[in-house]
Amino acid sequence: MLLLDAIFIGLLEASPLVLAAMGFTLIFYLNGFMNIAFAETITFGAYLAILFNVVLGLHFYMAIVPSMLFSGAMSVAVYLAIFRPALNRGVGPTEMIILSVGVSFMLRYGLILAVGPENLFLNEPRIAYMQFLGMGATNLQLIALVLVFAMAGLLYWIIYNTGLGEQMRGLANNHELAMASGINPHRTSVAIWFIAGCAGGLSGVFSGVFAQVTPYMGWNVILITMLVTIVAGIGSVRGALVAAVVAGILTAFITLVSKPLYSEVVLLLAFIGVLTFRGARAA
Amino acid sequence: MDYLIFSLSLMLVYIGLAQLLHVQFGLLGIPNFGVVGFWGIGLYGTGVLFVEFSFPLLLAIIVASGLSAVLAYGLSVLVLQRSGQAILAATLAFAAIVSTLVITEKQLTNGVQGLGTIGFPFGDLANRNAIFLGILAGVVGILIWASARLRDSRLGRVMLAIRDNEELAASLGKDTSTTKRMTFAVTCGLMGLLGGLSAPLHQFLVPYLLAPSLTFAVWIALVLGGKAHNLGAMMGVFATFGLFDIVVETYAPVPPDYALLVPNFKLFCYGVLLVLIIMFRPTGILGEEGPKVRTTAPPARLPNAALGEE
Repeated sequence: MLLLDAIFIGLLEASPLVLAAMGFTLIFYLNGFMNIAFAETITFGAYLAILFNVVLGLHFYMAIVPSMLFSGAMSVAVYLAIFRPALNRGVGPTEMIILSVGVSFMLRYGLILAVGPENLFLNEPRIAYMQFLGMGATNLQLIALVLVFAMAGLLYWIIYNTGLGEQMRGLANNHELAMASGINPHRTSVAIWFIAGCAGGLSGVFSGVFAQVTPYMGWNVILITMLVTIVAGIGSVRGALVAAVVAGILTAFITLVSKPLYSEVVLLLAFIGVLTFRGARAA
Repeated sequence: MDYLIFSLSLMLVYIGLAQLLHVQFGLLGIPNFGVVGFWGIGLYGTGVLFVEFSFPLLLAIIVASGLSAVLAYGLSVLVLQRSGQAILAATLAFAAIVSTLVITEKQLTNGVQGLGTIGFPFGDLANRNAIFLGILAGVVGILIWASARLRDSRLGRVMLAIRDNEELAASLGKDTSTTKRMTFAVTCGLMGLLGGLSAPLHQFLVPYLLAPSLTFAVWIALVLGGKAHNLGAMMGVFATFGLFDIVVETYAPVPPDYALLVPNFKLFCYGVLLVLIIMFRPTGILGEEGPKVRTTAPPARLPNAALGEE
């Protein structure tokens, strides 16, 4: 019963993490560096939801779609303005990470300077408490869960079953060969950064509605997202999905049997252990 | 005056950390994103030993730095032979573990309520904080001098070879993994030493001090100043911490309404500076020093040329 509880709570809590990890993985796979500024895509998703839901007064479910699309657009803008020129200049993978830290600081503190550091709340739709196989959840959590896994399925389909996904995998594995086969790297990259931005923004909207919207919300989940992605194997969207779900369930399980703060320690130690024994492909 | 001495002492700690990071990343190529973790073990180790177990301050600092070095060695055995990105994530996770444990282990660290107080050594002297500033300056000076000497030593050349091509260095018979582990452990231990020396500066320790922002501040300073230049760390800290935290906060006339925005504006500027420097001058302000080649030695004369002269 404890295990079943853990799986259920874990799935509910992992749903934003699943999206964040999949979006992060896409960029990692395509461009070969960890984009710390992805944290800000998540945060901006939540703030865009505040804009559409609270400021402009749209219904929460209606606000999801424009927030997601604008996050994608922002992700593309950052790519075109900063990351693409840097990649063209031949900046190495570690320097790219430092660059993305810079971008992240710029966006986060720019946001604080623009809208202030206060925590904000979304206007939630009517909450109904439901019983589901003997376990309680709100309608919002269940809808989020369904939407997240629908998005995850869509992403999975795009990566493994469409021409765009094939082009992306081609570019990631052998850039020159892909270009010689007539793949336009520019168009594919823009599309991937847009999709990754949508996933990150949606993740932000859901973590915002479950708790609150703060300028640090993306930053707080980026470490766990990074670790999930590395453990999953670089560029494996399938692996990111599985690892994020496992991480969510593990956290829920440890939280149920001990203090919540220890779950973080155990999870991080488990990640270091996995890194040691499994390693990661040198980028 | 006391506040200025405190700021200058803190600046010296930053310079020391950036200098050690210069050895780890600039010379050896290890992306250590857990700086605050190793520094924090020194800081909290010293605090716990001094307050809870009444160790003398010097002994507490030495034991805490040793602990930091031992843990760094353990971590290096686990992940140092992995890719750079894996090392980066593992060290970041290590720092997160340290800061979480400081909150959970209340019986030792007093949790979020804070641990204190740790006084300056030579408590009976009036200008003890100035003396401590002098001690810090001495320690940081030795670090800068030692890393300059290191660069021109045999070990330094092995380190540069590992950074540029580890397989090649290994194929020439250099024990690359031992070099990496030992250097990482020693430099992390020294980060712990700086943490121990920071304990009397902060006097009252709270878990907030272990936030990852310290790691990023040190990284930004190093990248800005020049990661592979021996004085890059100092230069970078002057341009970030020195400029914003000392000059702007002390002397700039900021209207009180905007005073709360200053730290956010500072971090925004750090971000912009970091982006500009990586895009337009990736080696940092000072660039990279070429290795010192001894050119004064006379060229060897060939024996048959010598014969021909006769």
